[in-house]
Amino acid sequence: MVRTSAAQRLDEAPVASVIRLEFGGGDPPAPPVRPNAPIASNAWLATVMFLGAEAMFFAGLIGAFIVFRIGSSIWPPPFQPRLPVGITGVNTVVLLASAITVHMALRSVRAGAIGRGKRMLAMTAALGGVFLLIQGYEWARLIHFGLTVSSSIYGGLFYTLIGFHAFHVAGALAWLIVVFVRTNRGYFSPQEYTGVQVCAMYWTFVVALWPILYGLVYLY
Amino acid sequence: MKKILPAACLVLLGPTLAHACAVCLTGAGDDSVTEAFNMSVLFLMATPYAVVGGIVSCLIYVKRGKAAGVKTESDGEPAMPLATIQKESATR
Repeated sequence: MVRTSAAQRLDEAPVASVIRLEFGGGDPPAPPVRPNAPIASNAWLATVMFLGAEAMFFAGLIGAFIVFRIGSSIWPPPFQPRLPVGITGVNTVVLLASAITVHMALRSVRAGAIGRGKRMLAMTAALGGVFLLIQGYEWARLIHFGLTVSSSIYGGLFYTLIGFHAFHVAGALAWLIVVFVRTNRGYFSPQEYTGVQVCAMYWTFVVALWPILYGLVYLY
Repeated sequence: MKKILPAACLVLLGPTLAHACAVCLTGAGDDSVTEAFNMSVLFLMATPYAVVGGIVSCLIYVKRGKAAGVKTESDGEPAMPLATIQKESATR
């Protein structure tokens, strides 16, 4: 009986391991195999590619703006209203602040602070909404002063460039609201946060694009 | 080759014949429209390099971040038990 139990103990994994190590025999245990995981998720890679295509789209519009802006000796053309530089500057600060809050939301979700992540997502959406409201107010005033798409090349370029950006902000805002609702329903966790991550990437792209457009269209 | 060589000589002898499009003719000028087109062409030429460079930089950044993460995770636990390493060192 004693012999049997001793034999069983010798067969146990830790005991067998110690015997093998101390008295030799057998191959050393193989080093742990590191999983050959991809460096990024498919959603991340697809978003990066999509943002590259978006960057090319806006590059085409900016290229057209450069042709007309540098080619014109007088800019803005005579009898056209001036763009509201001051209030749009404040709007720029609002949009830049939203990039900070969206990254805080992502960090919070990654760290497991879902409640804080939800608050930050809501704040980002609110800042984006404020940006769009101010833009809409500006547009209404400019149209009232006679700057329309068909009034001149100046108006056409302004509404095309800034309009497409506003359209992208509206799309990003809708996406952000969907992510907020899904976060509220507990879809995301520190292990699974890809939805928040790709939304934050798109929002950051839209925010990073705005200072370029502001400098080019409003200040240059 | 028999056709290409005379064509090349023709272009070299009469360079204005090589101005095949309006943009080439405009490029030879020195006005603001020319400058505008040149700036726009340079910008659009540089953008794909910036976009592709950005994507590649992102991938390298993420890969390095992942590599650093794996190294940190394995720091607390040696790849082989210390006893095995000591035994192997002793036998050498």
